[in-house]
Amino acid sequence: MQTAALRAFCHWPQSNSTAMIRQCLKCRALTLQQSSRAYGVIPPPRDSEEKEMVHRMLRVDHAGEYGANRIYAGQMAVLGRSKTGPFIQEMWDQEKKHLEKFNEILAENRVRPTALLPFWNIAGFALGASSALLGKEGAMACTVAVEESITEHYNSQIRTLMEKDPERYTELLQVIKEFRDDEMEHHDTGLAHDAENVPGYWLLKNAIQLGCKAAIYVSQRI
Amino acid sequence: MAALLRGLRAGRALRGLSSVVAAPTATNPQCGSLRRGFHCAGLRLQDESKSDKPPSSTSSSTTYHEHYQARSAEQDTAASASDPAADQSTNPNTSYQDQSGEQDEEYETEEQLQARILTAALEFVLLHGWSMEAIAAGAESLGLSSASTGMFEKGSGDLVLHFIAQCNAQLTEILAEQHNQVQLGQAEPKKTADFIRDAVETRLRMYIPYIETWPQAMSLLMLPHNIPDSLKHLSTLMDDIWYYAGDRSTDMNWYTKRAALTGIYNTTELVMIQDSSPDYQDTWAFLDNRIQDVVNMATTAKQVQSTGEAVVQGLMGAAVTLKNLTGLNQRR
Repeated sequence: MQTAALRAFCHWPQSNSTAMIRQCLKCRALTLQQSSRAYGVIPPPRDSEEKEMVHRMLRVDHAGEYGANRIYAGQMAVLGRSKTGPFIQEMWDQEKKHLEKFNEILAENRVRPTALLPFWNIAGFALGASSALLGKEGAMACTVAVEESITEHYNSQIRTLMEKDPERYTELLQVIKEFRDDEMEHHDTGLAHDAENVPGYWLLKNAIQLGCKAAIYVSQRI
Repeated sequence: MAALLRGLRAGRALRGLSSVVAAPTATNPQCGSLRRGFHCAGLRLQDESKSDKPPSSTSSSTTYHEHYQARSAEQDTAASASDPAADQSTNPNTSYQDQSGEQDEEYETEEQLQARILTAALEFVLLHGWSMEAIAAGAESLGLSSASTGMFEKGSGDLVLHFIAQCNAQLTEILAEQHNQVQLGQAEPKKTADFIRDAVETRLRMYIPYIETWPQAMSLLMLPHNIPDSLKHLSTLMDDIWYYAGDRSTDMNWYTKRAALTGIYNTTELVMIQDSSPDYQDTWAFLDNRIQDVVNMATTAKQVQSTGEAVVQGLMGAAVTLKNLTGLNQRR
């Protein structure tokens, strides 16, 4: 389905022939590759501003997935053997896949990872573990808060890319949309497992979301 | 009709001239226009090169490589367009790029002119040192007035930075060529330590013709207004070397590797400028030792980590045993 959509883009009548040739080559390249390959996800940047913008987006996305990974690791460390363990494990596995994909994209495009990774390592694990110590509802509330932040963040990135040039960033948009949908699913899973029953839900949720916003802001720049 | 086109071009040139005169000290617009110029020439080349190139292999390094080669092809064209005055149609009046980003290939941009002057000035460095006199001599050798040194706001720092950028570009070309050979199976991939050693040696050898005056150049790079650019060149150099050495890390290793290589490179450069052994053998021996140090440190770090993990596991085992013995581990 992905390849058919891409072929449709290939035959889209475009006034700019260079973009069409590039798209067609990318289509051919993508259909020949495995779907897990990151080849061709980012178009070669036209100038340094675009490169800066795309690299910034990838850097913060990579940091976000890395942090989410560590949060779930923290939650599993506490609740791994309880009955919510399997649900958290499932969400964690999906985050691992996301992180793998971003690792590929970063390596492919020579993007510098954020220098704060060790900090997100510790902070994420601490957040996951401490929210899980509040019980299953606490862990779910943390999940809800974090996934909501990440979803909002991905949505704003999608908006930015769509505003700039949806055809140029087709593959990247696809990746971000797919990940955004996964995160929304996690958010709904969290709500379904009594996230709102934790005492101080509103406070906890907003505190975590504030932290996420700060993390996103900082990771874009450092 | 031709007269109308000429008039339009003159109008565009005047507009470009006025915009550049209005902002003489801003370097970013110049850089932007340079890239747009390269980009336009490059787009045409990319079309030709990409339309007959087959889709590339599955290697992750090939993607960046294709882009690099397309870009280097366009730079070659641009460089040949601004070749020394010998074969170029003499056009001493530089006209500036118009705002739309289209570049007429007969006209030279200011950046290209500066690059030409600085390249010519390198011939005079051994005579005049890294100074404005060298740049003035370079300008005169191209048939331009020595007053064109006024174009260079950073003075002799511009000359050093230009030379460094040139060396970095040469090194990247060499590394890309080696990479190609390995991809095509015509050469064996080198071990990382050997690769790094060869890359740093190749790069430092480019200083040998200017080694007498290199201390002056290094001190020029330390001047506050030159530091941002020299750091940028250094960091791109380190990134390029590690990329072609095969580093694809996306965690703190990215930083530690580049920091280690920067240390190795800078200290080796310092050793080189006061080395008097034949063919700088002492320098290369020093380089070998430093690389070996880093390799040893990495091995030691790994050993420490695995020892630490073993110790932690031992402690956990002891804790569980204690809990079992004292009966705290029973679940009811």
